[in-house]
Amino acid sequence: MIRLASVTKRYAAGSRPALCDVSTEIGAGEFVFLVGPSGSGKSTLLRLLLREERATTGLVEVAGRDVARIPDRKVPLLRRTVGCVFQDFRLLPDRTVAGNVAFALDVVGRPRHVVRAVVPEVLELVGLTGKEKRFPDELSGGEQQRVAIARAFVGRPQVLLADEPTGNLDPATSAEIMDLLDDINQAGTTILMATHNAGLVDAMRLRVLELDAGRLVRDERRGGYDNPDGPSATSPDIDTSPLDDTGPLDVSAGTGPLDVPAQRSRVQAPAPTGREAG
Amino acid sequence: MRPGPLLAALVTTLRRNVAMTCAVVVTVTICLAMLGAGLLLRAQAHTVDSFLLDQIEIVVDLQDGLDDADRQALRDELAADPLVGGVTYESKQDVYERFRRDFRTSPDVVAGVGPDDLPASFRLALIDPRDAVVIVETYTGRDGVEAVRDQRALLGPLYRFLDAFTLGAFVLAAVQAVASFVLIYTMIRISAHARRRETAIMRLVGATNAAIRAPFMLESALAGLLGGLLAVGALVLAKIYLVDGRFARQTMFPLFGWDAVWVAAATVLAVGVTAAAGMASVALRRHLRA
Repeated sequence: MIRLASVTKRYAAGSRPALCDVSTEIGAGEFVFLVGPSGSGKSTLLRLLLREERATTGLVEVAGRDVARIPDRKVPLLRRTVGCVFQDFRLLPDRTVAGNVAFALDVVGRPRHVVRAVVPEVLELVGLTGKEKRFPDELSGGEQQRVAIARAFVGRPQVLLADEPTGNLDPATSAEIMDLLDDINQAGTTILMATHNAGLVDAMRLRVLELDAGRLVRDERRGGYDNPDGPSATSPDIDTSPLDDTGPLDVSAGTGPLDVPAQRSRVQAPAPTGREAG
Repeated sequence: MRPGPLLAALVTTLRRNVAMTCAVVVTVTICLAMLGAGLLLRAQAHTVDSFLLDQIEIVVDLQDGLDDADRQALRDELAADPLVGGVTYESKQDVYERFRRDFRTSPDVVAGVGPDDLPASFRLALIDPRDAVVIVETYTGRDGVEAVRDQRALLGPLYRFLDAFTLGAFVLAAVQAVASFVLIYTMIRISAHARRRETAIMRLVGATNAAIRAPFMLESALAGLLGGLLAVGALVLAKIYLVDGRFARQTMFPLFGWDAVWVAAATVLAVGVTAAAGMASVALRRHLRA
Protein backbone atom coordinates (compact mmCIF):
# COMPACT_ATOMS: atom_id res chain seq x y z
CA MET A 1 0.00 0.00 0.00
CA ILE A 2 2.89 2.32 0.84
CA ARG A 3 6.39 1.85 -0.51
CA LEU A 4 9.43 4.02 0.05
CA ALA A 5 12.64 3.21 -1.81
CA SER A 6 15.81 5.09 -0.90
CA VAL A 7 13.84 8.22 -0.12
CA THR A 8 15.80 11.32 0.77
CA LYS A 9 14.21 14.67 1.43
CA ARG A 10 16.23 17.84 1.76
CA TYR A 11 14.34 21.09 2.39
CA ALA A 12 17.27 23.29 1.41
CA ALA A 13 20.22 22.39 -0.75
CA GLY A 14 23.21 21.51 1.38
CA SER A 15 21.22 21.20 4.58
CA ARG A 16 20.97 18.04 6.64
CA PRO A 17 18.28 15.89 5.02
CA ALA A 18 14.99 15.60 6.87
CA LEU A 19 14.82 12.04 5.58
CA CYS A 20 17.88 10.10 4.50
CA ASP A 21 17.76 7.00 2.33
CA VAL A 22 14.60 5.60 3.87
CA SER A 23 13.27 2.36 2.40
CA THR A 24 10.31 0.43 3.71
CA GLU A 25 7.06 -1.10 2.65
CA ILE A 26 3.70 -1.12 4.40
CA GLY A 27 1.16 -3.65 3.26
CA ALA A 28 -2.57 -3.17 2.85
CA GLY A 29 -4.42 -3.46 6.16
CA GLU A 30 -1.34 -3.00 8.35
CA PHE A 31 -1.25 -0.79 11.43
CA VAL A 32 2.18 0.75 11.78
CA PHE A 33 3.54 3.12 14.42
CA LEU A 34 6.06 5.70 13.37
CA VAL A 35 8.19 6.79 16.30
CA GLY A 36 11.22 8.93 16.87
CA PRO A 37 12.09 12.20 18.54
CA SER A 38 10.82 15.54 17.34
CA GLY A 39 12.66 16.53 14.19
CA SER A 40 13.44 12.93 13.27
CA GLY A 41 11.45 13.17 10.03
CA LYS A 42 8.09 11.64 10.95
CA SER A 43 6.02 14.56 9.73
CA THR A 44 8.14 14.88 6.61
CA LEU A 45 7.45 11.26 5.81
CA LEU A 46 3.71 11.79 6.19
CA ARG A 47 3.88 14.91 4.03
CA LEU A 48 5.64 12.97 1.29
CA LEU A 49 2.83 10.42 1.28
CA LEU A 50 0.31 13.23 0.77
CA ARG A 51 2.41 14.94 -1.89
CA GLU A 52 2.55 17.98 0.34
CA GLU A 53 6.24 17.68 -0.36
CA ARG A 54 8.21 15.83 -3.00
CA ALA A 55 11.12 13.57 -2.23
CA THR A 56 14.47 14.97 -3.28
CA THR A 57 15.49 11.50 -4.46
CA GLY A 58 13.97 8.07 -4.23
CA LEU A 59 10.58 6.59 -4.89
CA VAL A 60 7.40 7.17 -2.89
CA GLU A 61 4.48 4.91 -3.81
CA VAL A 62 0.99 5.09 -2.34
CA ALA A 63 -1.70 2.63 -3.43
CA GLY A 64 0.50 1.53 -6.31
CA ARG A 65 1.10 5.01 -7.68
CA ASP A 66 4.41 6.82 -7.87
CA VAL A 67 3.44 9.91 -5.93
CA ALA A 68 6.05 12.14 -7.59
CA ARG A 69 4.68 11.33 -11.02
CA ILE A 70 1.07 12.16 -10.28
CA PRO A 71 0.24 15.28 -12.27
CA ASP A 72 -0.76 18.28 -10.14
CA ARG A 73 -4.40 18.13 -11.16
CA LYS A 74 -4.61 14.46 -10.07
CA VAL A 75 -3.09 15.10 -6.63
CA PRO A 76 -6.59 15.62 -5.15
CA LEU A 77 -7.41 12.04 -6.17
CA LEU A 78 -4.36 10.80 -4.24
CA ARG A 79 -5.50 12.74 -1.20
CA ARG A 80 -8.93 11.14 -1.40
CA THR A 81 -7.28 7.75 -0.95
CA VAL A 82 -5.28 8.99 2.05
CA GLY A 83 -7.11 10.27 5.11
CA CYS A 84 -5.40 12.47 7.67
CA VAL A 85 -5.74 13.10 11.39
CA PHE A 86 -3.70 15.59 13.39
CA GLN A 87 -2.80 16.33 16.95
CA ASP A 88 -4.68 19.66 16.83
CA PHE A 89 -7.84 18.15 15.25
CA ARG A 90 -8.19 20.98 12.70
CA LEU A 91 -11.95 21.22 12.89
CA LEU A 92 -13.91 24.16 11.53
CA PRO A 93 -15.21 26.02 14.59
CA ASP A 94 -18.25 27.46 12.79
CA ARG A 95 -19.55 24.09 11.65
CA THR A 96 -21.33 21.47 13.66
CA VAL A 97 -20.01 17.96 14.17
CA ALA A 98 -22.09 16.72 11.24
CA GLY A 99 -21.12 19.81 9.23
CA ASN A 100 -17.43 19.18 9.75
CA VAL A 101 -17.76 15.61 8.55
CA ALA A 102 -20.05 16.52 5.66
CA PHE A 103 -17.56 19.20 4.61
CA ALA A 104 -15.09 16.55 3.48
CA LEU A 105 -17.70 15.06 1.16
CA ASP A 106 -19.20 18.36 0.02
CA VAL A 107 -15.92 19.78 -1.18
CA VAL A 108 -15.16 16.76 -3.32
CA GLY A 109 -18.57 17.05 -4.95
CA ARG A 110 -20.36 14.04 -3.48
CA PRO A 111 -24.12 14.19 -4.07
CA ARG A 112 -26.30 15.35 -1.22
CA HIS A 113 -28.12 12.07 -0.73
CA VAL A 114 -24.76 10.32 -0.29
CA VAL A 115 -23.67 12.91 2.25
CA ARG A 116 -26.93 12.55 4.15
CA ALA A 117 -26.63 8.80 4.23
CA VAL A 118 -22.94 8.45 4.99
CA VAL A 119 -22.36 11.12 7.64
CA PRO A 120 -24.65 9.57 10.32
CA GLU A 121 -23.10 6.15 9.65
CA VAL A 122 -19.61 7.45 10.26
CA LEU A 123 -20.65 9.45 13.31
CA GLU A 124 -22.15 6.26 14.71
CA LEU A 125 -18.91 4.43 13.99
CA VAL A 126 -16.90 7.00 15.94
CA GLY A 127 -19.46 7.08 18.75
CA LEU A 128 -20.81 10.57 18.28
CA THR A 129 -24.44 9.77 17.55
CA GLY A 130 -26.59 12.34 19.33
CA LYS A 131 -23.91 15.02 19.15
CA GLU A 132 -24.31 15.83 15.45
CA LYS A 133 -25.45 19.37 16.11
CA ARG A 134 -22.80 20.31 18.63
CA PHE A 135 -20.05 22.73 17.71
CA PRO A 136 -16.39 21.79 18.25
CA ASP A 137 -16.01 24.12 21.24
CA GLU A 138 -18.82 22.22 22.96
CA LEU A 139 -16.89 18.95 22.73
CA SER A 140 -14.10 17.41 24.77
CA GLY A 141 -10.72 16.88 23.16
CA GLY A 142 -11.43 13.22 22.64
CA GLU A 143 -14.74 13.97 20.99
CA GLN A 144 -13.11 16.54 18.76
CA GLN A 145 -10.56 13.98 17.67
CA ARG A 146 -13.38 11.57 16.94
CA VAL A 147 -14.92 14.18 14.66
CA ALA A 148 -11.55 14.60 12.95
CA ILE A 149 -11.27 10.85 12.50
CA ALA A 150 -14.81 10.71 11.15
CA ARG A 151 -13.93 13.45 8.68
CA ALA A 152 -10.78 11.64 7.61
CA PHE A 153 -12.57 8.33 7.27
CA VAL A 154 -15.87 9.42 5.73
CA GLY A 155 -14.45 9.25 2.22
CA ARG A 156 -13.33 5.68 2.93
CA PRO A 157 -9.64 6.24 2.25
CA GLN A 158 -7.40 3.22 1.75
CA VAL A 159 -4.77 4.72 4.03
CA LEU A 160 -5.20 6.75 7.20
CA LEU A 161 -2.26 8.86 8.33
CA ALA A 162 -2.38 9.98 11.94
CA ASP A 163 0.14 12.56 13.09
CA GLU A 164 0.25 12.29 16.88
CA PRO A 165 -3.52 11.95 17.15
CA THR A 166 -3.34 11.44 20.92
CA GLY A 167 -0.82 14.20 21.55
CA ASN A 168 -3.42 16.53 23.06
CA LEU A 169 -5.39 13.89 24.92
CA ASP A 170 -5.25 12.36 28.38
CA PRO A 171 -4.31 8.68 28.63
CA ALA A 172 -7.85 7.38 28.98
CA THR A 173 -9.06 9.35 26.00
CA SER A 174 -5.94 8.41 24.06
CA ALA A 175 -6.80 4.78 24.63
CA GLU A 176 -10.33 5.33 23.33
CA ILE A 177 -9.02 7.03 20.22
CA MET A 178 -6.60 4.15 19.79
CA ASP A 179 -9.50 1.73 20.02
CA LEU A 180 -11.31 3.65 17.34
CA LEU A 181 -8.29 3.64 15.04
CA ASP A 182 -7.93 -0.04 15.72
CA ASP A 183 -11.54 -0.61 14.67
CA ILE A 184 -10.95 1.32 11.48
CA ASN A 185 -7.85 -0.74 10.83
CA GLN A 186 -9.76 -3.97 11.45
CA ALA A 187 -12.18 -2.86 8.78
CA GLY A 188 -9.29 -2.92 6.32
CA THR A 189 -7.83 0.56 6.30
CA THR A 190 -4.05 0.80 6.41
CA ILE A 191 -2.96 3.05 9.26
CA LEU A 192 0.34 4.80 9.74
CA MET A 193 0.45 6.63 13.04
CA ALA A 194 3.24 8.94 14.10
CA THR A 195 3.30 9.11 17.87
CA HIS A 196 5.25 9.89 21.00
CA ASN A 197 2.83 7.92 23.13
CA ALA A 198 5.02 5.12 24.44
CA GLY A 199 2.22 3.60 26.48
CA LEU A 200 0.04 2.99 23.47
CA VAL A 201 2.85 1.63 21.33
CA ASP A 202 4.01 -0.71 24.06
CA ALA A 203 0.49 -1.92 24.74
CA MET A 204 -0.44 -2.57 21.13
CA ARG A 205 2.75 -4.43 20.13
CA LEU A 206 2.31 -3.74 16.45
CA ARG A 207 4.86 -2.98 13.79
CA VAL A 208 7.07 -0.03 14.72
CA LEU A 209 9.17 2.10 12.38
CA GLU A 210 11.65 4.30 14.19
CA LEU A 211 13.26 7.34 12.65
CA ASP A 212 16.27 9.09 14.06
CA ALA A 213 17.73 12.17 12.42
CA GLY A 214 15.99 11.25 9.18
CA ARG A 215 17.22 7.65 9.07
CA LEU A 216 15.10 4.58 9.53
CA VAL A 217 16.85 2.95 12.48
CA ARG A 218 14.31 0.27 13.36
CA ASP A 219 11.57 -1.72 11.64
CA GLU A 220 10.26 -4.13 14.23
CA ARG A 221 7.23 -6.43 14.08
CA ARG A 222 5.44 -6.33 17.42
CA GLY A 223 7.72 -3.63 18.61
CA GLY A 224 7.62 -1.40 21.63
CA TYR A 225 8.28 2.30 21.80
CA ASP A 226 11.92 2.02 22.83
CA ASN A 227 14.55 0.43 20.70
CA PRO A 228 15.54 -2.88 22.33
CA ASP A 229 18.78 -3.18 20.34
CA GLY A 230 20.42 0.05 21.22
CA PRO A 231 20.24 3.33 22.93
CA SER A 232 16.82 4.71 22.72
CA ALA A 233 16.45 7.37 20.12
CA THR A 234 14.94 9.52 22.74
CA SER A 235 15.72 10.21 26.34
CA PRO A 236 13.28 8.44 28.63
CA ASP A 237 12.53 11.44 30.78
CA ILE A 238 10.94 13.11 27.81
CA ASP A 239 9.69 10.44 25.52
CA THR A 240 8.18 7.88 27.75
CA SER A 241 5.56 10.32 28.84
CA PRO A 242 2.47 9.74 26.77
CA LEU A 243 1.77 13.44 26.68
CA ASP A 244 5.17 14.92 26.24
CA ASP A 245 4.19 17.34 23.52
CA THR A 246 1.25 18.91 25.13
CA GLY A 247 0.82 22.11 27.07
CA PRO A 248 -0.33 22.99 30.56
CA LEU A 249 -3.49 20.93 30.20
CA ASP A 250 -1.48 17.75 30.56
CA VAL A 251 -0.22 18.34 34.05
CA SER A 252 -2.95 16.19 35.50
CA ALA A 253 -2.18 13.42 33.05
CA GLY A 254 1.55 13.32 33.44
CA THR A 255 1.72 9.71 34.37
CA GLY A 256 4.17 7.04 33.39
CA PRO A 257 4.15 5.27 30.07
CA LEU A 258 2.56 2.11 31.37
CA ASP A 259 -0.01 3.81 33.49
CA VAL A 260 -2.75 2.57 31.26
CA PRO A 261 -6.25 3.36 32.40
CA ALA A 262 -8.46 0.51 33.36
CA GLN A 263 -11.14 1.14 30.75
CA ARG A 264 -8.64 0.74 27.92
CA SER A 265 -9.71 -2.79 27.36
CA ARG A 266 -8.55 -3.60 23.85
CA VAL A 267 -5.45 -1.56 23.87
CA GLN A 268 -4.33 -2.87 27.19
CA ALA A 269 -4.49 -6.41 26.02
CA PRO A 270 -1.36 -8.01 24.65
CA ALA A 271 -0.74 -7.40 21.01
CA PRO A 272 -3.49 -8.67 18.78
CA THR A 273 -2.25 -11.31 16.43
CA GLY A 274 -2.62 -11.98 12.77
CA ARG A 275 -1.84 -8.53 11.52
CA GLU A 276 1.88 -8.66 11.16
CA ALA A 277 1.87 -9.66 7.56
CA GLY A 278 1.17 -6.95 5.11
CA MET B 1 -18.71 21.21 -5.56
CA ARG B 2 -22.49 21.17 -5.48
CA PRO B 3 -24.24 24.56 -5.66
CA GLY B 4 -25.45 24.34 -2.03
CA PRO B 5 -22.08 24.02 -0.29
CA LEU B 6 -20.53 26.40 -2.81
CA LEU B 7 -23.12 29.04 -2.00
CA ALA B 8 -22.57 28.47 1.71
CA ALA B 9 -18.84 29.01 1.26
CA LEU B 10 -19.56 32.15 -0.76
CA VAL B 11 -21.83 33.54 1.94
CA THR B 12 -19.19 32.85 4.61
CA THR B 13 -16.55 34.61 2.54
CA LEU B 14 -18.77 37.62 1.91
CA ARG B 15 -19.86 37.90 5.52
CA ARG B 16 -16.29 37.97 6.77
CA ASN B 17 -15.24 40.45 4.16
CA VAL B 18 -18.11 42.92 3.76
CA ALA B 19 -16.15 46.20 3.91
CA MET B 20 -13.55 45.04 1.42
CA THR B 21 -16.20 43.71 -0.95
CA CYS B 22 -18.01 47.07 -0.82
CA ALA B 23 -14.79 48.89 -1.68
CA VAL B 24 -14.29 46.59 -4.64
CA VAL B 25 -17.88 47.12 -5.79
CA VAL B 26 -17.52 50.91 -5.70
CA THR B 27 -14.25 50.91 -7.61
CA VAL B 28 -15.53 48.42 -10.15
CA THR B 29 -18.67 50.54 -10.60
CA ILE B 30 -16.65 53.65 -11.44
CA CYS B 31 -14.38 51.66 -13.74
CA LEU B 32 -17.27 50.08 -15.61
CA ALA B 33 -19.28 53.31 -15.77
CA MET B 34 -16.28 54.94 -17.46
CA LEU B 35 -15.98 51.99 -19.81
CA GLY B 36 -19.69 52.25 -20.60
CA ALA B 37 -19.42 56.01 -21.15
CA GLY B 38 -16.55 55.42 -23.55
CA LEU B 39 -18.57 52.84 -25.42
CA LEU B 40 -21.54 55.21 -25.67
CA LEU B 41 -19.34 58.05 -26.93
CA ARG B 42 -18.05 55.72 -29.59
CA ALA B 43 -21.60 54.74 -30.38
CA GLN B 44 -22.40 58.43 -30.72
CA ALA B 45 -19.54 58.90 -33.18
CA HIS B 46 -20.86 55.96 -35.19
CA THR B 47 -24.37 57.35 -35.06
CA VAL B 48 -23.16 60.65 -36.49
CA ASP B 49 -21.08 58.75 -39.02
CA SER B 50 -23.90 56.63 -40.27
CA PHE B 51 -26.17 59.65 -40.33
CA LEU B 52 -23.68 61.42 -42.56
CA LEU B 53 -22.93 58.37 -44.66
CA ASP B 54 -26.65 57.99 -45.21
CA GLN B 55 -26.67 61.57 -46.32
CA ILE B 56 -24.66 62.44 -49.35
CA GLU B 57 -21.16 63.28 -48.40
CA ILE B 58 -20.08 65.69 -51.09
CA VAL B 59 -22.28 68.57 -52.19
CA VAL B 60 -21.63 70.23 -55.53
CA ASP B 61 -23.40 73.59 -55.45
CA LEU B 62 -24.44 74.79 -58.89
CA GLN B 63 -24.24 78.31 -60.16
CA ASP B 64 -27.56 80.02 -60.64
CA GLY B 65 -28.69 80.11 -64.25
CA LEU B 66 -27.00 76.89 -65.33
CA ASP B 67 -29.09 75.53 -68.17
CA ASP B 68 -30.54 72.07 -68.29
CA ALA B 69 -28.15 70.76 -70.96
CA ASP B 70 -25.05 71.87 -69.09
CA ARG B 71 -26.45 70.51 -65.87
CA GLN B 72 -27.12 67.16 -67.54
CA ALA B 73 -23.61 67.09 -68.98
CA LEU B 74 -22.13 67.74 -65.54
CA ARG B 75 -24.34 65.08 -64.06
CA ASP B 76 -23.23 62.55 -66.68
CA GLU B 77 -19.63 63.38 -66.02
CA LEU B 78 -20.07 62.97 -62.26
CA ALA B 79 -21.92 59.72 -62.71
CA ALA B 80 -19.14 58.40 -64.95
CA ASP B 81 -16.46 59.27 -62.37
CA PRO B 82 -15.14 55.96 -61.00
CA LEU B 83 -14.91 57.40 -57.47
CA VAL B 84 -18.58 58.34 -57.39
CA GLY B 85 -21.16 55.81 -56.41
CA GLY B 86 -24.29 57.85 -56.93
CA VAL B 87 -25.49 61.30 -57.94
CA THR B 88 -28.71 62.98 -56.83
CA TYR B 89 -29.98 66.32 -57.98
CA GLU B 90 -31.64 68.67 -55.53
CA SER B 91 -33.44 71.69 -56.84
CA LYS B 92 -33.43 74.98 -54.96
CA GLN B 93 -36.76 73.98 -53.44
CA ASP B 94 -35.37 70.61 -52.30
CA VAL B 95 -32.36 72.29 -50.77
CA TYR B 96 -34.59 74.76 -48.98
CA GLU B 97 -36.69 71.91 -47.56
CA ARG B 98 -33.58 70.18 -46.30
CA PHE B 99 -32.29 73.43 -44.84
CA ARG B 100 -35.55 73.95 -42.98
CA ARG B 101 -35.38 70.38 -41.71
CA ASP B 102 -31.76 70.63 -40.56
CA PHE B 103 -32.34 73.90 -38.74
CA ARG B 104 -35.79 73.11 -37.41
CA THR B 105 -34.54 73.92 -33.92
CA SER B 106 -33.35 77.38 -34.98
CA PRO B 107 -36.38 79.20 -36.46
CA ASP B 108 -34.48 82.51 -36.51
CA VAL B 109 -32.01 81.15 -39.03
CA VAL B 110 -34.74 79.72 -41.26
CA ALA B 111 -36.85 82.89 -41.16
CA GLY B 112 -34.39 85.02 -43.12
CA VAL B 113 -33.83 82.53 -45.93
CA GLY B 114 -35.94 81.66 -48.94
CA PRO B 115 -35.57 78.97 -51.65
CA ASP B 116 -33.90 81.41 -54.02
CA ASP B 117 -31.12 82.16 -51.56
CA LEU B 118 -29.86 78.60 -51.74
CA PRO B 119 -28.08 76.97 -54.67
CA ALA B 120 -29.37 73.89 -56.46
CA SER B 121 -26.89 71.08 -56.02
CA PHE B 122 -25.74 67.57 -56.81
CA ARG B 123 -25.16 65.36 -53.81
CA LEU B 124 -22.55 62.69 -54.41
CA ALA B 125 -22.24 59.36 -52.67
CA LEU B 126 -18.65 58.21 -52.84
CA ILE B 127 -17.63 54.63 -53.20
CA ASP B 128 -14.91 55.34 -50.65
CA PRO B 129 -15.55 58.43 -48.49
CA ARG B 130 -11.79 58.92 -48.13
CA ASP B 131 -11.65 60.05 -51.76
CA ALA B 132 -13.56 63.21 -50.85
CA VAL B 133 -10.45 65.40 -51.19
CA VAL B 134 -9.83 64.22 -54.77
CA ILE B 135 -13.41 64.94 -55.77
CA VAL B 136 -13.30 68.38 -54.20
CA GLU B 137 -10.08 69.20 -56.09
CA THR B 138 -11.34 67.81 -59.38
CA TYR B 139 -14.63 69.68 -59.54
CA THR B 140 -13.90 72.95 -57.80
CA GLY B 141 -13.84 75.77 -60.33
CA ARG B 142 -15.52 73.85 -63.14
CA ASP B 143 -17.98 75.69 -65.32
CA GLY B 144 -21.33 75.91 -63.65
CA VAL B 145 -19.96 74.79 -60.29
CA GLU B 146 -20.29 77.31 -57.52
CA ALA B 147 -18.52 75.31 -54.81
CA VAL B 148 -17.75 71.74 -53.81
CA ARG B 149 -18.24 71.00 -50.12
CA ASP B 150 -17.20 67.96 -48.13
CA GLN B 151 -19.77 67.85 -45.38
CA ARG B 152 -17.66 65.59 -43.25
CA ALA B 153 -14.84 68.10 -43.18
CA LEU B 154 -17.14 70.57 -41.49
CA LEU B 155 -17.60 68.09 -38.70
CA GLY B 156 -13.94 67.76 -37.80
CA PRO B 157 -14.33 69.59 -34.49
CA LEU B 158 -17.26 67.38 -33.51
CA TYR B 159 -15.29 64.22 -34.23
CA ARG B 160 -12.27 65.57 -32.37
CA PHE B 161 -14.52 66.35 -29.41
CA LEU B 162 -16.05 62.87 -29.45
CA ASP B 163 -12.67 61.19 -29.91
CA ALA B 164 -11.12 63.13 -27.06
CA PHE B 165 -13.93 62.30 -24.67
CA THR B 166 -13.95 58.65 -25.73
CA LEU B 167 -10.22 58.43 -25.14
CA GLY B 168 -10.58 60.22 -21.81
CA ALA B 169 -13.30 57.82 -20.68
CA PHE B 170 -11.23 54.78 -21.68
CA VAL B 171 -8.13 56.13 -19.93
CA LEU B 172 -10.13 56.73 -16.76
CA ALA B 173 -11.60 53.24 -17.07
CA ALA B 174 -8.08 51.82 -17.39
CA VAL B 175 -6.88 53.71 -14.31
CA GLN B 176 -9.89 52.47 -12.37
CA ALA B 177 -9.24 48.96 -13.67
CA VAL B 178 -5.77 49.09 -12.11
CA ALA B 179 -7.30 50.32 -8.84
CA SER B 180 -9.89 47.53 -9.04
CA PHE B 181 -7.18 44.95 -9.54
CA VAL B 182 -5.25 46.18 -6.53
CA LEU B 183 -8.41 46.06 -4.41
CA ILE B 184 -9.45 42.63 -5.67
CA TYR B 185 -5.93 41.39 -5.00
CA THR B 186 -6.20 42.65 -1.43
CA MET B 187 -9.72 41.31 -1.04
CA ILE B 188 -8.57 37.85 -2.11
CA ARG B 189 -5.60 38.00 0.23
CA ILE B 190 -7.86 38.82 3.16
CA SER B 191 -10.41 36.19 2.13
CA ALA B 192 -7.77 33.54 1.67
CA HIS B 193 -6.35 34.34 5.07
CA ALA B 194 -9.78 34.29 6.71
CA ARG B 195 -10.58 30.93 5.12
CA ARG B 196 -7.15 29.34 5.44
CA ARG B 197 -8.43 26.60 7.77
CA GLU B 198 -11.12 25.63 5.33
CA THR B 199 -8.86 25.67 2.31
CA ALA B 200 -6.22 23.66 4.16
CA ILE B 201 -8.81 21.00 5.01
CA MET B 202 -10.21 21.08 1.50
CA ARG B 203 -6.77 20.34 0.11
CA LEU B 204 -6.25 17.56 2.61
CA VAL B 205 -9.48 15.76 1.83
CA GLY B 206 -8.82 15.98 -1.88
CA ALA B 207 -10.86 18.90 -3.14
CA THR B 208 -9.74 19.99 -6.59
CA ASN B 209 -8.08 23.31 -7.12
CA ALA B 210 -11.17 24.48 -8.97
CA ALA B 211 -13.37 23.64 -5.99
CA ILE B 212 -11.01 25.40 -3.59
CA ARG B 213 -10.82 28.51 -5.73
CA ALA B 214 -14.45 28.67 -6.77
CA PRO B 215 -15.78 30.57 -3.73
CA PHE B 216 -13.08 33.24 -4.08
CA MET B 217 -13.65 33.59 -7.81
CA LEU B 218 -17.39 33.78 -7.19
CA GLU B 219 -16.89 36.46 -4.54
CA SER B 220 -14.93 38.55 -6.97
CA ALA B 221 -17.27 37.85 -9.88
CA LEU B 222 -20.21 38.83 -7.69
CA ALA B 223 -18.48 42.12 -6.83
CA GLY B 224 -17.91 42.56 -10.56
CA LEU B 225 -21.56 41.83 -11.30
CA LEU B 226 -22.79 44.26 -8.64
CA GLY B 227 -20.41 46.93 -9.92
CA GLY B 228 -21.60 46.19 -13.45
CA LEU B 229 -25.27 46.52 -12.49
CA LEU B 230 -24.62 49.84 -10.73
CA ALA B 231 -22.68 51.05 -13.77
CA VAL B 232 -25.53 50.01 -16.07
CA GLY B 233 -27.90 51.92 -13.80
CA ALA B 234 -25.69 55.00 -14.16
CA LEU B 235 -25.64 54.64 -17.95
CA VAL B 236 -29.42 54.29 -18.13
CA LEU B 237 -29.90 57.38 -15.94
CA ALA B 238 -27.41 59.29 -18.08
CA LYS B 239 -29.32 58.27 -21.22
CA ILE B 240 -32.67 59.36 -19.78
CA TYR B 241 -31.71 62.59 -18.07
CA LEU B 242 -28.58 63.77 -19.82
CA VAL B 243 -28.85 62.54 -23.40
CA ASP B 244 -32.59 62.44 -24.03
CA GLY B 245 -33.50 65.12 -21.52
CA ARG B 246 -30.87 67.69 -22.37
CA PHE B 247 -28.60 67.06 -25.37
CA ALA B 248 -31.42 66.04 -27.68
CA ARG B 249 -32.80 69.58 -27.59
CA GLN B 250 -29.43 71.17 -28.21
CA THR B 251 -28.13 69.38 -31.27
CA MET B 252 -29.30 68.72 -34.80
CA PHE B 253 -27.42 65.45 -35.00
CA PRO B 254 -29.14 62.23 -34.12
CA LEU B 255 -28.05 60.82 -30.75
CA PHE B 256 -27.37 57.18 -29.97
CA GLY B 257 -30.45 55.14 -29.13
CA TRP B 258 -31.33 52.56 -26.49
CA ASP B 259 -29.86 49.76 -28.58
CA ALA B 260 -26.42 51.33 -28.03
CA VAL B 261 -27.14 51.57 -24.30
CA TRP B 262 -28.07 47.87 -24.10
CA VAL B 263 -24.98 46.85 -26.06
CA ALA B 264 -22.83 48.93 -23.69
CA ALA B 265 -24.69 47.47 -20.70
CA ALA B 266 -24.13 43.88 -21.84
CA THR B 267 -20.45 44.61 -22.51
CA VAL B 268 -20.01 46.30 -19.14
CA LEU B 269 -21.62 43.36 -17.30
CA ALA B 270 -19.66 40.74 -19.20
CA VAL B 271 -16.38 42.61 -18.74
CA GLY B 272 -17.15 43.27 -15.07
CA VAL B 273 -17.84 39.65 -14.22
CA THR B 274 -15.10 38.03 -16.27
CA ALA B 275 -12.41 40.60 -15.50
CA ALA B 276 -13.15 40.47 -11.77
CA ALA B 277 -13.04 36.67 -11.79
CA GLY B 278 -9.87 36.76 -13.88
CA MET B 279 -8.21 39.22 -11.52
CA ALA B 280 -9.21 36.99 -8.60
CA SER B 281 -7.67 34.03 -10.39
CA VAL B 282 -4.38 35.91 -10.73
CA ALA B 283 -4.48 36.91 -7.06
CA LEU B 284 -5.29 33.33 -6.02
CA ARG B 285 -2.17 32.04 -7.70
CA ARG B 286 -0.26 34.21 -5.29
CA HIS B 287 -2.28 33.73 -2.14
CA LEU B 288 -3.56 30.18 -2.23
CA ARG B 289 -1.30 27.17 -2.26
CA ALA B 290 -2.08 24.69 -4.99
